Amino acid sequence: MEMIIAGLLDSLAPNSLMFVFLGVAIGVTIGAIPGINGPMAIALFIPVTYYMSALTAIGFLVGLNKGAFFGGAISAVLLRTPGTPEAAATAWDGYPLTQQGKGEKALRMAFYSSVAGDFISTAVLIGIAAPLATVALFMGPAEVFALISLALTVIAGIGTNSISRGLIAAAFGLLVGMVGTEPVTALPRLTFDIYQLGSGLKLIPVAIGLLAFSEILIQLEKFTVKGGGEQAANVFSAKREDRLLSWKEFSASARTLIRGSTIGIFVGAMPGLGAPVASFMSYDQAQKRSKHPEKFGTGELEGIGASEAANSAVVGASLIPLFVLGIPGNLAVAMLMGAFMIHGMQPGPLMFQENARLMYGVYGSLIVASFFLLIIGRLGLRVFCKAVEIPAVILYPVVVFTCIMGSYLGQSSMFDVVIMLIFGVIGYFMRKFDFSYVAFLIGFILVPEWERALQQVVIISQYDTFLFFRRPVAVGLIGLTFFVIARTFWGSLKGKK
Amino acid sequence: MTRIQRDNIAYILILVFCVVMLIWLIPNFTPPYPGYGASPALVPNVSVGIMMAMSILALLKNLLAAYAGKQVPPEESEFPDDAQTGGFTQVGRIKLFHLLSFIVPCGLLVVGINTIGYLPAAFLFMLVIQYIIGSKKLIQPFVVSLSAVALMYIIMRYGFGVPIPGPQLF
Repeated sequence: MEMIIAGLLDSLAPNSLMFVFLGVAIGVTIGAIPGINGPMAIALFIPVTYYMSALTAIGFLVGLNKGAFFGGAISAVLLRTPGTPEAAATAWDGYPLTQQGKGEKALRMAFYSSVAGDFISTAVLIGIAAPLATVALFMGPAEVFALISLALTVIAGIGTNSISRGLIAAAFGLLVGMVGTEPVTALPRLTFDIYQLGSGLKLIPVAIGLLAFSEILIQLEKFTVKGGGEQAANVFSAKREDRLLSWKEFSASARTLIRGSTIGIFVGAMPGLGAPVASFMSYDQAQKRSKHPEKFGTGELEGIGASEAANSAVVGASLIPLFVLGIPGNLAVAMLMGAFMIHGMQPGPLMFQENARLMYGVYGSLIVASFFLLIIGRLGLRVFCKAVEIPAVILYPVVVFTCIMGSYLGQSSMFDVVIMLIFGVIGYFMRKFDFSYVAFLIGFILVPEWERALQQVVIISQYDTFLFFRRPVAVGLIGLTFFVIARTFWGSLKGKK
Repeated sequence: MTRIQRDNIAYILILVFCVVMLIWLIPNFTPPYPGYGASPALVPNVSVGIMMAMSILALLKNLLAAYAGKQVPPEESEFPDDAQTGGFTQVGRIKLFHLLSFIVPCGLLVVGINTIGYLPAAFLFMLVIQYIIGSKKLIQPFVVSLSAVALMYIIMRYGFGVPIPGPQLF
């Protein structure tokens, strides 16, 4: 008990509070810039933390990560150029609201949902982290393979009117994700003798190209070809009800927020899956369970809530496998793991024994970061809303330029800019031909883990032929995958989708 | 050209891509089977196989519908006016000239940064893009270009310590 109190008091020291506040503020700002996401921000700021104490450093980076998750929603809602991949689903309903002059309302929904998801997941991390992580501990390669297969199948149905086009896009994402070094032989695969492809295609240029640059191309097309019809810079409605979010509107989505947070916590606790998966799964579930699913994609507050609650819930939950098992669940947590190691700690179950005071201090910083997010987001919303009043002739060139330089930033490589442009054009054609870029991106993100699990299953199966059939969870997940496919096809035959 | 016809062309192009992948690219650019685990070509082949199977199914569906004289719903056969379906994709006609008018300057920026350096190339790029979008003012494009390029330079060079190609400003 003394350790808990001492740790929590450490997190309330002025120095810690100041850096957590700075972390959240910088995170929100950086998250709003297309091309710079949480993991990248953490990587860039890790050197800054060399001169901080361990708790201050971890608090700063955790705040940065939390802020970036909400920041990603700002550009998604106002510009439909998600600052982070997980905010893509937020853009589907957030941007139509901006077009209707209700951008401030959409941002408020995104913000409160994000804070709700964040608080719930932080509470779960602190309270019931260990039992959840214990479940994940029993997941072998067969379960991981089955779980990712299920995620890919569910995602293929999102973002297109045709399941076949969704599957084509997901398979294309898998194929593109396999470019690079093959995991078993460690030899180049599908690199076409281009040495820059040896380490594979990076997520940042691919995601910026598909999500941001192709969207800007479409927006510019509408702006220039159709004589400047619509633009990102919409004037907000003067009506109070169009700007503010009422308690009735927010509470109407309460079930969606709880469901989204639960999905986010579950996905976050599972190594290998990430916030985009949680966000898309939550959105999909909200749409399927809604009384008016046809409104999704046209400016439905529930859609924003589903996406934001889920992706913010991932932040806290993704620390569960790190703290309990020492396994980084996603890229942002991998970066945090690096920061822990820089400060002389090896994340894992022993940390609670060897650095108990620090661990409770980190818990305290997580709670403090959630409160700071609430304050910063609450005070800064109007400022963020003002950003869209910038004229399109200024805004679009700056966004195009930011996309290009954002792609360059990752590896200081013009090759990444070329990759971003190529995927921008691919994204343009995918949108025009109704192929789901979401399915593509999820396939691209999940393929390394999926293939690794498959390879492990095949290698183990050489000694244990019936391995897969003796893993009931894996069999259940694969059965669920086939059920989802069959149900979707049956639905399309019956004309439901 | 109707939307169905255009979709059919897309499916045929995907089929051609899959055939090229299966016959030439995957066999020639994939490591040989090491003797354990799954073949490095397995997952690429499965992915291409899914793409191929789905394209063939979609083509067959369209062909059978056309053969049976089945009426295709307008939302599936025509281009929507607003170029929007459910907020996810923007189904519409391809504006190739528009696309090239933005992609070409972006490509030239990549070449320009590598040859004349970041500062002049990015400044010219910003001016050109603003002109293409339709900026008619004289001073504003210069101010916007200068501000954006300088701000990005400061952030990249001093904020993130990223090396910027070409001559350094300060």
